[in-house]
Amino acid sequence: MQEKENILKILEGTKTSIQKGDVVTIKNLSNQTTNTAALTHDPDNIAIAVIVYTISKLFERQDYQKLPGWQEFYNTIFKCIDNSIISIKNNDDAQIKTNLDCLRTSLVKVSGNLKKHIQDVFRKASINKASKIYEHGISMEKTAKLLGITMFELASYSGQREQVSETPIIKGVDVKSRINLAMEMFK
Amino acid sequence: MNPVIIFDASTLISFSMAGLIPEIRELKKIFKGKFIISEDVKKEAIDTPLKIKRFQLEALKIKQLLDENILELPISLGLDDKLIKTKTQEILDMANTTIYGADKDIHLIDLGESSALAISKILNDKKIENVIAIDERTTRSLAETPNELKKYLEGKLHAKMTVKQEKVDFFKQFKFIRSVELIYVAYKKGILKLKGSENLSAILYALKYKGCAVSGKEIQEIRNLA
Repeated sequence: MQEKENILKILEGTKTSIQKGDVVTIKNLSNQTTNTAALTHDPDNIAIAVIVYTISKLFERQDYQKLPGWQEFYNTIFKCIDNSIISIKNNDDAQIKTNLDCLRTSLVKVSGNLKKHIQDVFRKASINKASKIYEHGISMEKTAKLLGITMFELASYSGQREQVSETPIIKGVDVKSRINLAMEMFK
Repeated sequence: MNPVIIFDASTLISFSMAGLIPEIRELKKIFKGKFIISEDVKKEAIDTPLKIKRFQLEALKIKQLLDENILELPISLGLDDKLIKTKTQEILDMANTTIYGADKDIHLIDLGESSALAISKILNDKKIENVIAIDERTTRSLAETPNELKKYLEGKLHAKMTVKQEKVDFFKQFKFIRSVELIYVAYKKGILKLKGSENLSAILYALKYKGCAVSGKEIQEIRNLA
């Protein structure tokens, strides 16, 4: 795992914010992992970015919290975050991996309707994070593969976001020259 | 030798999701050369989405273009698959070591994008006129405005970046267009089913919202030129 200190800070912040019910802070914390994920392509950093964002979206929905299985899910998530924090502090790589896996699986080991909702939120969180990484200048295909989503999902999501198409790095060759090039090909 | 347009998955995806596959078919009718896709692009635009129900239809429409020889694989140009694979890996390694920052090379692109560049490079060496149709912005920026890309990455990743100039020079040989320029051609050649500049604008925005990296200002400029 790269940037352990950053992950530790994010998990500690997430734990406190879950206890306070502070969804906005959880969401902000998930954004802080995007830089590292774009820079290192480290799977653990990417996983944390997606998981923390998923948690923020799940805690935002009061109706999910009334569904059967929520309390069990809450307890599992909390325990996995706690254990992850302890293993990072102990610099125990094997335990870090086990506890991060526990975090990942806690999102799928739920039953009933809550499972469907969580999986849907998780998928959307992956697309959202992919879009953020694409925004950071990594190519569409590379980003889609890093996040385990299709280019179709990333293209349609990022197409709605002005941050991608309106940013200055896309201004390469001017419009007229590119049009002339296209027209020339069809002469 | 007739010209070649090499399609990246991003462009095929924009066309497909905007419901503009018939326009590719019409464009091919007036094009003297070939529309080519690499095996890696086929995987991203056809093989993988074919297994996902949500994108199966879009993938099938692109596959149909391949079945009808509107899109063709590089073998149709007599290009050796082994050579393409070798060049793809060489270019991938080069692209992903062109910009360096925070004690590491910044990995920017992947196999599909690199394979399009590889085919273009092979055709350039053979003096065959070609252009890459690519809607995603990073590959284009790496070749066209590497220093802008460097500055952009510095801003986004909060780290000082350096660009390896000898590698940048290699990427200058590539030429790019996007789905929006292809639609402009279709408009000028009178093969768009929806006529009129208002409709052109609607199509261009549809492509933008389906992932083509084009700004609103650029769309306005395209409209003004139409």
